[in-house]
Amino acid sequence: MKPPRFLYCDPDTLDAAVALKAQHGFDALMLAGGQSLMPMLNMRLASPGVLIDINGITDLQRVVRTDDVLEIGAGVRQSAIESDEQVHAAVPLLARAVPHIGHVENRHRGTVGGSIAHADGAAELPCIAVTLDAVIVVRGASGEREIPAKDFFQGFLSNACAPDELVVAVRFPVTPAAAGTGFVEVARREGDFALAAAAVQAELDEQGRISRIAVGLAGVAATPVRATAVEDRLTGAAADPDTVAAAAQLAADVVTTGDDLHATAAYRKHLATTVVMRAVLAAVADAEQRTQNGSAS
Amino acid sequence: MTTTENPAATDTRTITLRVNGREITRTVSTRTTLADFLRDDLDLVSVHLGCEHGVCGCCTVLLDGQSVRSCLMLAVQARGHEVETVESLSADQTNLHPIQEAFAEEHALQCGFCTPAMVLRCKEIIADGRTRTDEEVRREISGILCRCTGYQNIVNAVQNASRRCASTGQEA
Amino acid sequence: MTATQDPARTTEEGPDRPAFTYIGKDRRRVEDPRLLVGRGGYIADMKLPGMLHAAILRSPVPHARIASIDVSAALEIPGVVAVFTGEDVKAHMDPCMNFGPATITQYPIAVDKVRYVGEAVAAVVAENRYIAEDGVDAIVVEYEELPVVSDPRAALEPDAPVLHEEHGSNLGYERTFEFGDITAALESADLVVEDELHWGRSAGMPMETTGAIARPGHNGVLEIYCNSLNFSYLQFLLAAALRIPSNKLKMQPVPAGGSFGSKFTAHKVPTLAGFLALRTGRPVCYLEDRLDHLMNSDHHGSDRYYKVRMGFTKDGLITGLDVDVVDDYGAYMQFGVGTHGNALSQAVGPYRFRDLRYRLRAAVTNKCQQGAYRGFGSEVHNWVLERLVEQGAAKLGIAPEEIRKRNFVLPEEFPYKIPGGNVYDSGNYPGVLEKALSMIDLEHWRKEKERLRREENRYIGIGIATTQERSVFSSTEFWFWFDEPPFPITSSPESATITIDPTGAFQLLLHCQAMWGNSPETVATTILAEEFGIEPESVNVSYADTSRALPGTGPGGSRFTVMVAGAVRGAARKLKKKLIDIAAHTLEVAPEDLELVAARVQVRGAPERSLGLPELAASAYFFALNLPPGMQSGLEESYTYDHPYTTLPSPDRSDLGVFYPIMGHACHIAVMEVDPDTGMTKFLDYVAVHDAGTVVNPKSLGGHVTGGAAQGLGSTLYEELAYDADGQFRSSTFLDYLVPTANEVPPFRIGHVETPSPYTEYGIKGGGEGGRMVTPSAVSAAIDDALREYGMHVRELPIKPADIVATVQAARAKG
Repeated sequence: MKPPRFLYCDPDTLDAAVALKAQHGFDALMLAGGQSLMPMLNMRLASPGVLIDINGITDLQRVVRTDDVLEIGAGVRQSAIESDEQVHAAVPLLARAVPHIGHVENRHRGTVGGSIAHADGAAELPCIAVTLDAVIVVRGASGEREIPAKDFFQGFLSNACAPDELVVAVRFPVTPAAAGTGFVEVARREGDFALAAAAVQAELDEQGRISRIAVGLAGVAATPVRATAVEDRLTGAAADPDTVAAAAQLAADVVTTGDDLHATAAYRKHLATTVVMRAVLAAVADAEQRTQNGSAS
Repeated sequence: MTTTENPAATDTRTITLRVNGREITRTVSTRTTLADFLRDDLDLVSVHLGCEHGVCGCCTVLLDGQSVRSCLMLAVQARGHEVETVESLSADQTNLHPIQEAFAEEHALQCGFCTPAMVLRCKEIIADGRTRTDEEVRREISGILCRCTGYQNIVNAVQNASRRCASTGQEA
Repeated sequence: MTATQDPARTTEEGPDRPAFTYIGKDRRRVEDPRLLVGRGGYIADMKLPGMLHAAILRSPVPHARIASIDVSAALEIPGVVAVFTGEDVKAHMDPCMNFGPATITQYPIAVDKVRYVGEAVAAVVAENRYIAEDGVDAIVVEYEELPVVSDPRAALEPDAPVLHEEHGSNLGYERTFEFGDITAALESADLVVEDELHWGRSAGMPMETTGAIARPGHNGVLEIYCNSLNFSYLQFLLAAALRIPSNKLKMQPVPAGGSFGSKFTAHKVPTLAGFLALRTGRPVCYLEDRLDHLMNSDHHGSDRYYKVRMGFTKDGLITGLDVDVVDDYGAYMQFGVGTHGNALSQAVGPYRFRDLRYRLRAAVTNKCQQGAYRGFGSEVHNWVLERLVEQGAAKLGIAPEEIRKRNFVLPEEFPYKIPGGNVYDSGNYPGVLEKALSMIDLEHWRKEKERLRREENRYIGIGIATTQERSVFSSTEFWFWFDEPPFPITSSPESATITIDPTGAFQLLLHCQAMWGNSPETVATTILAEEFGIEPESVNVSYADTSRALPGTGPGGSRFTVMVAGAVRGAARKLKKKLIDIAAHTLEVAPEDLELVAARVQVRGAPERSLGLPELAASAYFFALNLPPGMQSGLEESYTYDHPYTTLPSPDRSDLGVFYPIMGHACHIAVMEVDPDTGMTKFLDYVAVHDAGTVVNPKSLGGHVTGGAAQGLGSTLYEELAYDADGQFRSSTFLDYLVPTANEVPPFRIGHVETPSPYTEYGIKGGGEGGRMVTPSAVSAAIDDALREYGMHVRELPIKPADIVATVQAARAKG
């Protein structure tokens, strides 16, 4: 299990990386944290002619917060955002989801952009990006463009980047102070890819009814998906367990992953409804807590 | 170490890095993994290859103090960084580091194949001096597979090492 | 007629049991310091001058005729030295060692046909592993695919495609053993429970794979360094496969990073390395990578389909057990059906019933071969047995601990001959159960279970299970299957050589496989310390290569601690006699008036008249004229300890003889929570009590128990070497073969009970496997108990979350 031959380069600047990608196109792969690509190289499931190592590009390693956007550079390590109070405060769902990414050894190397670009439908960060309507910033020979997360993930391990483009940052909208969040993941072992995971961000009105809600799922389809039927049913609805449970049943319809070694399709459908229900209830409880704290202070 | 010009795409590179406190310069094939570089070029055979696809964790080393899987890095990527293997604690069987002593005392190893990785991981875990519950320790070591011990004695060893390093004031 | 032989009884049992100085104490292992600094000396750490590396091309298809192999592109790669295929092995070697049918032959590279996904099709030898893998990528193979046999029951149908044409069918073995009258036993029962059960494939899966380095040495000797093979027992078979005289094959044992059965006579790797070295004339390393090991190892574990029945009286007494098992052996049968001998050695468990039928059919399918994994097949039988006892208890309304108590063989009944002929040497099964019950408040948990269900809608289950832990196999179990066995071997010895050097320092030479994660050096030096009164850490231990090895069988079947203790003690007795004779001569006293205490030979009652080991050693090596007349110089003694208690099977096999008599026992109690909507499980408590006779080192025995239990948990909930109906392998990486992490394995609370064996030195019994032999039963019972209201009944391992949720959902749908 040794990597095949390839040519290696490690540009220091984003422009140089883009130029190299433009030059080599599909024959080049970007090496970020390597937690997905390196296993594929070791197993010779990938054999790029050129490997462009972007770990040395400092421009990709910044986290920038404005009033309503948290922009995380593609090269930021997952463990860095796991321990970054600024990130927790701005986008609490990231704080909840990131510890579920593999194990700490993976997160010390794995990058935010790498996980987004790898576009695994069972991975946490793509799911959070879709749930929060994040924007993926990509750059190519003809410049930079912004792709809404819902359009970025196109299918099984495929994204919307052109051959000359690479992911440079992810822009997450800053979570409103009163919004509650919940993240529930079920995997065979902790640290494995999700059999199903649900990410929820919810806001309550003054009567405690759900005024806005976003529900994303990982592990149930080729890409991360939103359970829009659940969102529609719960928007304006009471946040009691029976209502939530009934709405969560609608999550089963977004499950398209069939039987595999670890789960059956029927199980995943039930699991999707279960994790959605639990994540919504967790988000609601969190929102209630925040509202109390907010009114108390 | 950082160059201002982008070097051409190549299949060998000369790299300089620090390994266990010593500066090392070597020319490597760019496809050589960090694990193989440490084992084959530097004879640091404590870095064990258990799966070579980033799951078992037996090849864990500390990169700038953080535990990483050395089978999922290319040697060339370690240029300019500090790498530690278990030999950095003690390579002297008659004079072990307190963490290694804790592992021996708690019978936290049987075949020894995951042991260097677990010892290094322990070093990173206890570096902050924080007290952890056994359950927290379990989560912290869950990225390294041990097939012999059933983990309990490793959890005990991490707690034991944490106490030893706290009481002696020794930096882990 | 059964050959019998009254085994020697040792003195370590009973109230007169001597006090030990080193045995029974928690001591640090002598193996640890080198491991802690990363110098375990594993096979991958060895580098020989001029060494080449091999990589193999694995078959992507499960069953095919190899139409052509084009290696020309591979040979053009700079650094590739040679490529070998099945044509080469067919021309230059004989089939691998094989204890299965002679008509099912195996080579380390597939000849003419591939029979499972992952089977070696070609081996590339190159300057390094990277280049060897480049070579593998460049080989082009044409396969003519053949129909696939994936299900072992379908494999036995008359029209099933046949894997081995020469064998003529996919039935590798069939026999029905009946001991007692099973028909009458079931007819007389008040209750007969029955079940269909499937134990899925898992494997030892050590963190280190199997590897070997072979080097053509001087005088035509081929040296093989390997982390596998119980070498001195089987080395000549490997030599035969390589077509070299056995004295021209020198095997050097190399420490292993875990085995758990996976390296027990794992012969493909050293055979292939040896072949490649002979053909290239260079040292060659072949080290399995994880993908090789997952799909092309010597040992996947048992994969069995059962139809079983058990009879009970209304009081819960078991009347009999009827077993019909089909075992999926995969494409080859290197060990024959030895894993079922282990099952038969404790076929009735710790229970007293006398009537047993055991029908076995071994099926050959398009999968990797199976063999040893901790428990060696007895763990599977124990799960089946305990599943039935559990079902009987539930149907009769008897508590699980109570039904076991009613059926236990009692302490006064030993030695106890079970149906089938094996003897249980000793035991205290009620004592082990009581100890386990004393460590956990069962009544508290039973109340808590009701309360949590009622008040918090949580599902708690309690599982109790016991197991026998047979230890110290006799080689008669290799052949009692056959009416006319070709080689009815009866030896399974272990040897040790003790040398006191001229300064009085100890060397201990073991004649077995090197350490593979067990504690052979700790055990052997502890025994040596006990005998001579020296510190265990002061002894230097090494392992003999086959050019000078005495008879040895190596670790396996929980035999090593018992056997090496016997060997070391035997050699110690001889050496002590020599020391005393020298001292007697020097001090001019009668030998019988001398004793060896704390590394000195002293006069009984007058310890001031004594000689230390350095003085005695100096005499032995340098002052021949001071020695008693006729005594040879030097201080070295060897001893070969034979199996302490084995007898021949009867010719008609109505009695299989005594073949696994040193009988440990264990009881586990698991308290688990099950989430009915996710299928996830969590341990709330877990108690494991083991009786392995006299405990040499409680800490290391405890380590075996927890490690074994963790593996049992893996086989129960996580690990699966899965093939689909098309024969494709679905567990080819560690992302799919789920070894439990520290998150999944609970903190087992360990207890020890000591019932010394009357037949072994010091009363030691084996204890290496028991952890894995009972966890599956305890966990299955706990999950059933937690979800009893949904009719949960575990029939298949591993139990996946999807299975649990499917059961719950089906029950809910019925209302």
